[in-house]
Formats: sequence, structure tokens, C-alpha cells
Amino acid sequence: MPGIKDRVAIAGVGATRFTEHYEKDHEDLICEAVDEALGDAGVARGDIQAIWAGIYYQFTGLGGPAVADPLKMYGIPVTRVENYCASGMDAFRNACFAVAAGVYDIVLACGVEKITDQGSRGLPNVREGAHPFLPPASAPAMFAMSATRCFDVHGWTKEDLARVAVKNHANGAKHPKAHFRRAITMEDAVNAPEIASPLGRFDCCAVSDGAAAVVITRPEIARTMKHKDDFVVVKANGLSVETANPMYKPGFEYLGFPATQTASRAAYDEAGITDPFEQIDLAEVHDCFTITELLNYEDLGFCKKGEGAAFVRDGLSAPDGPLPVNPSGGLKSFGHPIGATGCRMITEVARQLQGRAEGVQVKDPKIGLAHNLGGPGAVSSVTILGRNDTL
Amino acid sequence: MPQMPKIATWHLPVPDVESATYWQGAREGKLLIKHCNACERHFFYPRAACPFCWSVDTSWRESSGRGNVYTFTVVHQNDLPPFRDRVPYVIAVIELEEGVRMTANVEGCSPDDVRCGMRVRVAFRDEARSEDDVVSLPVFRPEG
Repeated sequence: MPGIKDRVAIAGVGATRFTEHYEKDHEDLICEAVDEALGDAGVARGDIQAIWAGIYYQFTGLGGPAVADPLKMYGIPVTRVENYCASGMDAFRNACFAVAAGVYDIVLACGVEKITDQGSRGLPNVREGAHPFLPPASAPAMFAMSATRCFDVHGWTKEDLARVAVKNHANGAKHPKAHFRRAITMEDAVNAPEIASPLGRFDCCAVSDGAAAVVITRPEIARTMKHKDDFVVVKANGLSVETANPMYKPGFEYLGFPATQTASRAAYDEAGITDPFEQIDLAEVHDCFTITELLNYEDLGFCKKGEGAAFVRDGLSAPDGPLPVNPSGGLKSFGHPIGATGCRMITEVARQLQGRAEGVQVKDPKIGLAHNLGGPGAVSSVTILGRNDTL
Repeated sequence: MPQMPKIATWHLPVPDVESATYWQGAREGKLLIKHCNACERHFFYPRAACPFCWSVDTSWRESSGRGNVYTFTVVHQNDLPPFRDRVPYVIAVIELEEGVRMTANVEGCSPDDVRCGMRVRVAFRDEARSEDDVVSLPVFRPEG
């Protein structure tokens, strides 16, 4: 199997600001992101041969027309992809595979979510077939189960969680498109009102509206586009699915997410990564909650099990550290419009590798990682991207 | 007689063909779990086929109702009725002696006193959908 390594390129990226867009609907958002990506690649709507769109909530839009209608891009394949909060990166994965298969030359991966104006706080409560008897716990409550276990087993504390929030808010404060653009202190984070303890307000990511888009092609075609030789190469993508009901799974430890472990190993195998901490220069990871980022460090192999809290405490994931994690501010501060997040991560890593991540640029990255997690650890997708000189 | 509802009862389970026995058992103060007669394992939540070996040769067993808190959270924010009047409340993953896990509220102690590994025992909290339609929800209380 030839796989996709070095056979797919990112030619252009775009994203809206992630925030509460009360004055815009999903059609405004998708057009804004796609137009920016097309402009970045220097191609027109008519050049796009197929689209994959990550959308989670049915109220954002159903089917291909959810993006075909606002873009007025008709007569081509448009596929809505839904895979929990990893919908966006799964859309990207499918688009990459179509290009690698040689079926299309230029395609679009995008994601959009319009969450505000749905009449609830937090995430709208959708019954999507979890427990047949009792209502599912909220997202903060589900991830709090992991925090409680880590406090009990590893001795982690609310301060360990707070360090992630402080880092990611400081990063997001520098990003013009981030939802929360304000730095916070350890005291702010630790003393914030509890949501689902031990997770407090600053342990939970932003609930945002937004869209992101990526123009995908083959390297030889990318060279003829706007960025010439300065395109980004796709090294690998791994996707892994586990149960959506870990609470009924005997032996589930709540000390990590097996889907991330298997997705990242698959991606590392294809990309030829044997020592993630040494070989990866920056990562955008799924910090839906602060506890998730700590567990991501371990699941992605950046450190050993139980060492996640020390990883951020020692500054290893700081923007000037050896492996900057979420220099954009992450879901915590940049925001999390569910279906858009996976593609937003790809846009951030691509801009970093091209040295144009204004305000949040890390030093000279060659290999970047993006990690998207969905459901209660039910779905994970990991993408490895490389600078053009890694081809 | 449980208090009659003043608000929507959308959160209460609606027994169906696979769960009617479970909810009837709960009304009688029994916590029922499924047992696979083919591979001799217990499983939860109740369903027609064994999730380990796919056999449909399954039967109901009464759990001892004893177990421990595997992990938990204390919910402080929920603006949906009836939960908004109950905060803070505990949602826990309970590991029963039979080896199966379920989620349930832990009651009968301060949320601050709940710990991983705490021994708990099942109790039933009655909630009414209407005058002649009462649901008994399994909850757990500290043992002893």
C-alpha cells in the first residue's frame, strides 16, 4: 500500500475568527473561510472538484447542500462528514485520500459549526444514542471523570490543570482570530466557579461559532499555485474509533484515551516518526478540557503515562519550549465550533510550517502534528504535516 | 407516594421491550443485570445480545447492589429542569461486585465526602411521570 505520505499537499488555508457570531449564520461563516482558503491558494471556486465538510450538529446543516448552497458550488461531489468533535479532521482525511487515490486534482476540506442562538448554555443537549435508559452526562462531567481518576492515581491537582489554561490563554491572547484573547493567572483559573468538579470554568474550552477550510492537491500541482514551492506536505493521518460508552466498559481506566493512542501510532508509522518528542516541532491538540491536554501529551507519546502534569509544569509545551503545544491558544482559548475545529488545527499547523503564523509563530518548525478528539474519547484523528523541504 | 411532577419529565427513562424487566425490577427494589449463558459473563447496560460473544442466550440476574465508586464528578452547573434545583449533585461510575459498571447519582452524603474506591450500595429514588406511572431510579449510598 503506498499510503498518503508525501503524495498530498496543502495549497491554501482559511478560517473565520472563532467567537460568538450572533450576526452570522453557518452560510456566512463557511463562505468566509472557504473564500479565504481559495484566495490563499490562488484558485477559484470552479477549480474545486470535490468537497468534504465536517459538521456535527444537524441544526448547523444537513447533507452536502449545507455547504454547496451557500457557496453555490453545484454539480460536484459534496459530502458531509460527522464523527463527533473529530468531524473536521475526518473531512480533511477523506479529502486527502481522494487526492492520493488520483481521483481528483484539487479538492476542499472544510468544517463549520453555528452553536450560539440554539437556546442553551454550553453545548446543546443532543440525544444521539448514548445510554438507552438514562440521559448522558454533559461533556464537562464526562471529562471530569478522567480528572478525578488522575487526581486519585497520579496525585494531580487543580493547579496542574490550571497551568494548561494559563498557557493556552496566554497563547490565544496573541492570536487575532482567537475567541478568548485575554491572559489569565493561576489564581483566576484555580478560583473560578466549579462546572463539573474538579473542572472549573477555566478548565473548559470556549463554545464558539466558526469555520475553517483547506485547499488540498498534489505536490506537483501545488508548485504551480500561489505559494509556489512553499506548500505544506501531508505526511500521515491516523483515525481510530472506540466505544461512545466507556462508562460501561469494564477495565476502562479513565487515565487516557485509547483512540488517541492508536490513531497516533498509525500516523507515526506512516510518517516514520519513532520519537515524537524529538521529531515533532509543534502540535495543535484537542484541549476541550485542561485534563484532556495533559492526557494528550501521554497518549501522543510526548511523555510517559503519569507525566502529563510535569510536561506542562516544566515548560516543555510552552511556545518557546522544545515542543510547543497549542501555540494558537487551542480549543481552550481559540474556541471550539465542533465541526470546524479539525480543519482549523490543520490551518494553524500549516501556517506555522510556512513561517507565517503572525503573533504566535514558533521557532523554525519542520514537522507539525494536529490531534482531534471526539465524544468521550470515542474518536481520534492525528495528522502529521511537514514543511516543503521535508519532501 | 412520590411527589407529583410540576415540570417536564423528559429525563425519565421510557421502558421498552429490552428494558421493561429492568425497570420493573427497580420498582420492586431489585437491581437487575444481564448474564450471558454462553460465555458466563455479566454485562450492563441490559440488551438482547451479549456484547462479548454476541450470544442471544442471556438471562436476568439480581445484583448484590454492592460496589464501589470507580470515578465521579460533582456537577455544579446545569440549568435544565429538574437538575438545576439539585446542584451540586454527584454523577459516579459505579463498579458492582459482579464486575459490571453503571453510572448513577451518589446520595446520602455530602458531595465533598465522595471518594474513588468508596463502598456504596444501591437504593431506589422514585420519580413520577404521572399519578400511575412511577419510575424507580437506581442511586447509590455510602455503605454502613
